[in-house]
Amino acid sequence: MTSRRNFIKVSGLAGGGLAISLAVPKYARTMAFKPGDREITMNNFLTIDTGGNITAILTKHEMGQGTGTSVPTILADELGADWSKVKIKRSDYNPVYSWREMGTTGGSGSIERIWNAIRNAGATAREMMKQAAAQQWGVDTMVVKAENSFVINLITKERLEFGQLAEAASKLPVPEKVVLKKPKDYVYIGTSVKNRITPEVVAGKANYGIDMDIPSMVYAAIKRCPVFNGKVVTYDDTEARGLKGVLDIFPLTLSEDVKKTLHPKIGYVDEGVVVVADSTWTAFKATKLLKITWDQGANGSRSTTSLENEMKAAKDAVSFKFEMGDFEQVLNDRNNEILEVEYNNPHHPHALMEPINATAHFTGEACEVWVGTQDAAQTNAEVAKLLGLPRENVTVHVLNSGGSFGRRYHMDSSIEAAFISRKINKPVKVTWTREDEMMHDHFQHCLRNYLTAVITPDKRVVGVQNKAICTVDYAIWSEKWDHYYAFPNIRGYRAHVPTLVQQGAWRSVGEHSGSLGKECFIDELAHKTGKDPIDYRIELLGNEVDWGDPKDFPNWVINYFLPRKKIIRQRYLDTLEYIRMHNLWKKEMPYGRGKGFAIANFGDTICAQIAEVTMDDSECGFSVDKVTAVVYCGMVVNPHFGRGQIEGAIIWALSAVKYGGITVENGVVQRTNFDNNKVVRMDETPEIEVIFIESDEEPCGLGEPGTPALAPAVLNAIFDASGKRIREIPVRKEIFQSA
Amino acid sequence: MGKYSLTVNKKTHTFEVASDTPLLWVLRDTLKLYGTKYGCGIGQCGACTVHIDGLPYRSCCIPIESIKDQSIVTIEGLSENGTHTVQLAWQVVDVPQCGYCQSGQIMTAAALLDRIPQPTEADINRAMKGNICRCGTYVRIKEAIKLAAKNISS
Ligand code: FES
Ligand code: FES
Repeated sequence: MTSRRNFIKVSGLAGGGLAISLAVPKYARTMAFKPGDREITMNNFLTIDTGGNITAILTKHEMGQGTGTSVPTILADELGADWSKVKIKRSDYNPVYSWREMGTTGGSGSIERIWNAIRNAGATAREMMKQAAAQQWGVDTMVVKAENSFVINLITKERLEFGQLAEAASKLPVPEKVVLKKPKDYVYIGTSVKNRITPEVVAGKANYGIDMDIPSMVYAAIKRCPVFNGKVVTYDDTEARGLKGVLDIFPLTLSEDVKKTLHPKIGYVDEGVVVVADSTWTAFKATKLLKITWDQGANGSRSTTSLENEMKAAKDAVSFKFEMGDFEQVLNDRNNEILEVEYNNPHHPHALMEPINATAHFTGEACEVWVGTQDAAQTNAEVAKLLGLPRENVTVHVLNSGGSFGRRYHMDSSIEAAFISRKINKPVKVTWTREDEMMHDHFQHCLRNYLTAVITPDKRVVGVQNKAICTVDYAIWSEKWDHYYAFPNIRGYRAHVPTLVQQGAWRSVGEHSGSLGKECFIDELAHKTGKDPIDYRIELLGNEVDWGDPKDFPNWVINYFLPRKKIIRQRYLDTLEYIRMHNLWKKEMPYGRGKGFAIANFGDTICAQIAEVTMDDSECGFSVDKVTAVVYCGMVVNPHFGRGQIEGAIIWALSAVKYGGITVENGVVQRTNFDNNKVVRMDETPEIEVIFIESDEEPCGLGEPGTPALAPAVLNAIFDASGKRIREIPVRKEIFQSA
Repeated sequence: MGKYSLTVNKKTHTFEVASDTPLLWVLRDTLKLYGTKYGCGIGQCGACTVHIDGLPYRSCCIPIESIKDQSIVTIEGLSENGTHTVQLAWQVVDVPQCGYCQSGQIMTAAALLDRIPQPTEADINRAMKGNICRCGTYVRIKEAIKLAAKNISS
């Protein structure tokens, strides 16, 4: 039973039928510990008309994760609906949907965060359908059930379709309590319901942001300053203007006053010169003819080499973050052996398949924007600030996107399109070239870990220290809460070095960066102490980390955070035990081949990976033959989608291991397109086996959790195969010839 | 600038564009056939693949002036209502994630099966490695191609 409180509101639907509105706490589940959060109503979230047509509002951005199908299947299941009668309606940005859990898409949290709210909505509508039918038949609701969009009288076998009941149901009071289905009764949840976008995609009819087309629209491209934070000084557009089809050329510069109102990171736009033309091609071509003098600013003299030096120097200027136990004492014990190693995980590009774009139409009083975005609410806010319009005068239409992976949290293209449309008084589509997308990406941050372990003569690791040098102000294992492996003495430091490129979220964010050093280091320690990597992890997770005295902790840590940590630790253990029990790890590898293991969590989902590699003469010096992923994520709503996310994340991370890590020279990113920014293609794709550990627990995210374990699993496998410890990605063949 | 006449999906269009305009941008901006996608513009990703006289080509690298009396088929014209063997297999396997690369993948796969109806693993890799999928649907693409091949043979 779930207490209803005032979460659900019911009303009649114009034209007859039932409309369910949701009033849900701002942070539905994951952050329920935060008191005082508002409730927000989502009007007509679910409607059933008198024809039996069911419409579910989708507030999530469809970017390839399948949410546009999986979220409505949850609703349909709880409702007892016939899936083929369920239509999905994309919502434009609307303040009533704008709260975090509904309005943004990311953090692998779409299902996890709305799981309860959505099931309650479905169950409420289902109960009302049952009541309406029971009243009509003059029976108790106990003897009716809802199934496949019908309510069935279990005694007489009479049936009424939802459409026939919708009007009567809308006049009933909202039930005080509804019973949610038991997992064993699910019809759609847990099955591989087909993706609703597939038929459109295969027919070439799926439209993405870049395909937006409105009457009298013109096309724009921008030559942006190649250096982050650089400025336009002067430009000569004579030649570009000579090109037939060029309509206008002007600089894109924002006044300091406007800039101050925009979000410093996600509202950041590069300065540049805009070309407006009658076609995308002409606009692209004309930008190449512009002669621009830039003020490159401070970043113009920086490079990846200078960044590396800055990061190395920062090792001696780290700030102390935490200590559990007494690291210094074991370090100073002369009998102990000290192991010191350094790991490096550089900036990686997104290289989204669909280049960045946005279309805008400014009409003086209002502005419409069409864009594939992970955060329509913030897009609305940034565009409104740029134009000095009230937020309600800005409409953001969210279109499907060709991959997001964190990149589409940034509003740059929408701000650009709105800026240009205002200037020319016309609807305009801004398309970034692939080169723009690569050079002006919001890259994964860069992390170096200086790791120290103290090992006793009898081969026990009694202390671990991490100095994390990072281009952002977070890094896993640099805060005590990131630790699950219970070494007796642990110490963490961190230093923040200013970035020389724009940075942003990248599939799994800090987990990818930090897991490399962490999981490789554990492997090193297992070898040092003569232990099996799986057994060793089980041993380290056997005790809870000593977080310190709870009386020093805030309430949310005690009530929410620590219990969650317990669950995650248990899931780590269950996953490792599963692997041990099913003999997934005990495989003999022939000469020249090797296997490696790593495990990581993203949110509450655990993903362990076993990588099998062969050393060869390819440009990376190795190939990955197979990856076995074991995933603990609670219930899997759609196994086909779930497996697809893990496969995709493995291939994504493998691209970073083989070809990631940009170089920057004089502030300019040296990657421009898929020729010099390689990514994994079909012929390099390993065999991938995905195993979900069966569970009835609430579903947790799957979009990102497949990423972080891959890189360390591969590097550990390379060690197994070659005897060489590689502590950096990307891996190049040359490294096997040296060292 | 020049006047061109082009047969796409059995329909002939006449229009005026700059002579160096790649076929990709004619299809998209001029003919409003948005199923063919832009991914790189330099022949590296395969998102823009179309058939020219039955063979797969990167439309981003073909200037309009170089096309002479040839018949062009885009994803929209591969079949009526997405019923080509490859499109059907794609639906059965439920290949797409974001779907952006998939028109190109399907056009390349369809051309492969035209040429080699029963491709080996190596044939598939060789034909498909020019098509990037950042969502990483390669495993499913391969499965769908194998299914399509099976359906052709029966
Ligand atoms: S857009 Fe033509 S190959 Fe990439
Ligand atoms: S399905 Fe998204 S790029 Fe291939």
